[in-house]
Amino acid sequence: MLAKKVDRMEKIEKVEKIDALYNFFLTRSLLRKYKENGKKIIASLCNNVPEEIIHSMGAVPVRLLGLAKSTELASAKIPTWLCLYSKRLMEDGLRREFDFLDGIVGMTSDDTKTHLFSAYSFYLKPGFSYLIQIPYVRDKSSIEFFEKELKRFVEKFESFFNTEFSEEKLGESIEIYNRFRDLLNDLSRLRWEDEPKVSGEEWLKILLASTSMLKEELIEHLEDILEKVNDSEGYKDYKLRIHLSGTDFYDVEIVKMIEDLGGIVVSDDLCTSSGYYIGNVGGRTLRDLARRYLTQSACVLTARLEHLSIEDRLNFIMERIGESRANAIVLLKDRGCEICGHQCPFILQEFTDIPTLVLDLDTPYPTEQLKTRVEAFVESYG
Amino acid sequence: MELQEWNPLGYKNLYRDLFKKHLARQDSLLKQGRPVGWFFSFHPSEIIYIFDVVPAYPEQYSAYCAARGSSVDLIDASISKGYGHFLCDYFKTTVGMIEEPEKATKPLMPKPDFIVDTRALCVAHHEMTEVFARKYGIPKYTINYPFWTSDALGYVDELTKIPEMVEELYIEYSISKLKGLLEFMEKVTKIPLSDEKFKSVFETSEKTSKLLIEVAKLMMSKPTPGSQREIADLVFLAFFVLGSNYALEFAEKGYEMIKGRVKRKEGVVPEEKFRLLTFGIMPWHSLSLYEYCEMLGATFPVNLYVNASLHLCDSKKPFESMVRRSMHFTNSTYDLMDGVIENARKADLDGALLLENTGCRITSMIIRPLADTLQEELGLPSLILEAPQCDPRIMPLERAKTQVEAFIESLK
Ligand code: SF4
Ligand code: SF4
Repeated sequence: MLAKKVDRMEKIEKVEKIDALYNFFLTRSLLRKYKENGKKIIASLCNNVPEEIIHSMGAVPVRLLGLAKSTELASAKIPTWLCLYSKRLMEDGLRREFDFLDGIVGMTSDDTKTHLFSAYSFYLKPGFSYLIQIPYVRDKSSIEFFEKELKRFVEKFESFFNTEFSEEKLGESIEIYNRFRDLLNDLSRLRWEDEPKVSGEEWLKILLASTSMLKEELIEHLEDILEKVNDSEGYKDYKLRIHLSGTDFYDVEIVKMIEDLGGIVVSDDLCTSSGYYIGNVGGRTLRDLARRYLTQSACVLTARLEHLSIEDRLNFIMERIGESRANAIVLLKDRGCEICGHQCPFILQEFTDIPTLVLDLDTPYPTEQLKTRVEAFVESYG
Repeated sequence: MELQEWNPLGYKNLYRDLFKKHLARQDSLLKQGRPVGWFFSFHPSEIIYIFDVVPAYPEQYSAYCAARGSSVDLIDASISKGYGHFLCDYFKTTVGMIEEPEKATKPLMPKPDFIVDTRALCVAHHEMTEVFARKYGIPKYTINYPFWTSDALGYVDELTKIPEMVEELYIEYSISKLKGLLEFMEKVTKIPLSDEKFKSVFETSEKTSKLLIEVAKLMMSKPTPGSQREIADLVFLAFFVLGSNYALEFAEKGYEMIKGRVKRKEGVVPEEKFRLLTFGIMPWHSLSLYEYCEMLGATFPVNLYVNASLHLCDSKKPFESMVRRSMHFTNSTYDLMDGVIENARKADLDGALLLENTGCRITSMIIRPLADTLQEELGLPSLILEAPQCDPRIMPLERAKTQVEAFIESLK
């Protein structure tokens, strides 16, 4: 009886802790504090920007995500049919929500991200800006090129901010990031239990918090959360174990809605989650970093030589489903996402033996309609 | 509004001749069992002639379907298979052809044995290549040109694509990928690279590219000598058949025709009232929109889409030339528009007609910064029309005409 009580208390504490962390994402308060303390804040426009480099040069990397609910200002500058991620980011930028930024770093990962970098630089003049050219092939010459490209980025950063890069500091940052990844891996394993100890909502909140604070600071919180989670009881009242598939998705409300209706999200292949943290850096140099970001990530467009990136992505999803024992897929299909647009049919074809629900996402969300569909899905397969 | 008599250059017959020769070459190579490759705009088209392969172009085929009225059904077919609404029309039309060939305009594209994609314009080429390669189970080769930024590329001449400064690292990597492409071609075509052929194809390409640039320059004369109905199709030469003898023949004749016009000070219409710049992929289903504007007295001495397709090939530096093909403003950050602005200034313009191609992130995202830059630098107003290039449902021709009329009225 007493043990049960402790469990419950741990659970409440865990939830409170996670909500407090998530608040850093919603308010961006820590970023402003870092800024006041003289730190440079650098936004990354893609989960594959090697944040370790920025971190090692004393700046704070932020995976920039917009919070705007409507996007009227952005609509005057970029097409209204683009993905939600790009519209919200542009909207918050135009509303001057990102005034604390000292620069942005983009990547040529897809057309939207490439041109979003261009549009953001053109309209908002962010001070420092750099677009990392990512090869789509993971062969030897491309990894070598990518290493040189990262060096080039370092040099531009050094000269703009009058700072110096050192391999030693890079090594230290890599260690911090690897520790962050290890902790998330540990936490992730707790999602795979029969009674998952972390819900999809909690998981996403942690991931979002991680975009808005220094990783060393987050690590302390993660260690604490891990302890609390380990001691807490898991979630049992669910009907379906769900793998969430999508791209730059970060709407906690949708995940909460799925879980309120009887699903529990146990794994994903989102750019904002798995694509952001999976894969440790196997060394302390720029070359190691180049290798990790080109070969180990779940990036949706790079592929091994003589392979297709879609095949790599399908394998990645398969592995996640295997580990988490998800028995259903919810495919989040942002209507403006070019990757979803090209790849969804293949995901549907590949996983015909697993019940799959496709949710077409566009703002404003048709909440009631989404609810009815999820409800029916959970009822049918749960 | 009163319509004037329309007097095009007469390139129609040249195009007819060009396509005839191009198709005859395709037929003969197909009969010989030569492999089929699918290629996209801005690819190094010379390799087609060096390796004697049968080329097919999803973009050109889709434009053809749009002109013949089958693209709408094909687009719908792709959406019904689960592909996104807001993707490139060329992709949707081609997927439609693969999925429901009975609805597609004949002749269909021949099935590919391999695909080459470059990131010289859009990542969409790469994304669609993945889909096509998986559907057909065939090999593909990717060339990662950079997306140019102002710290890597200096001022670029808009027509020749000769830059003042360029980052060596990017050139080196792109060239290494182009050399890899030659090896890939040797493998898929099973014939070794012939140095002699390589040289002669690039020499042909050089001559053709020079003439095409001259044509674009002459178009800026006063009065505007030709119609965009015929000039817009120059992209077919510049993108897809550069390096062929028939493209050179076309360019030689086309150049003489426009030169004669300019000499005689003859315009596409008797009274040129406004000179407009245009940009965006042509709505292939409604090309007569250009004819209509011209008949209203608004001519188009500058087409940035055509200009983007051009580059000056230097046969002594073939690899560098292939990389320079990617140095157009649509593959660059928006602060790299100086070359475009300088050319526009020379053309003495009154306004711009810009086309937002729904589903194409390239043209659609550049449109507003371009309109802003034209306004700021040259005081030019723009009309932006949402016009997907293969889907007439979003911009019915009659509605577009009304908008254009109002715009022209406002220029007065
Ligand atoms: S992957 Fe999709 S959601 Fe992410 S930036 Fe690209 S288009 Fe937008
Ligand atoms: S229309 Fe746009 S997306 Fe499609 S091939 Fe052309 S540039 Fe790429």
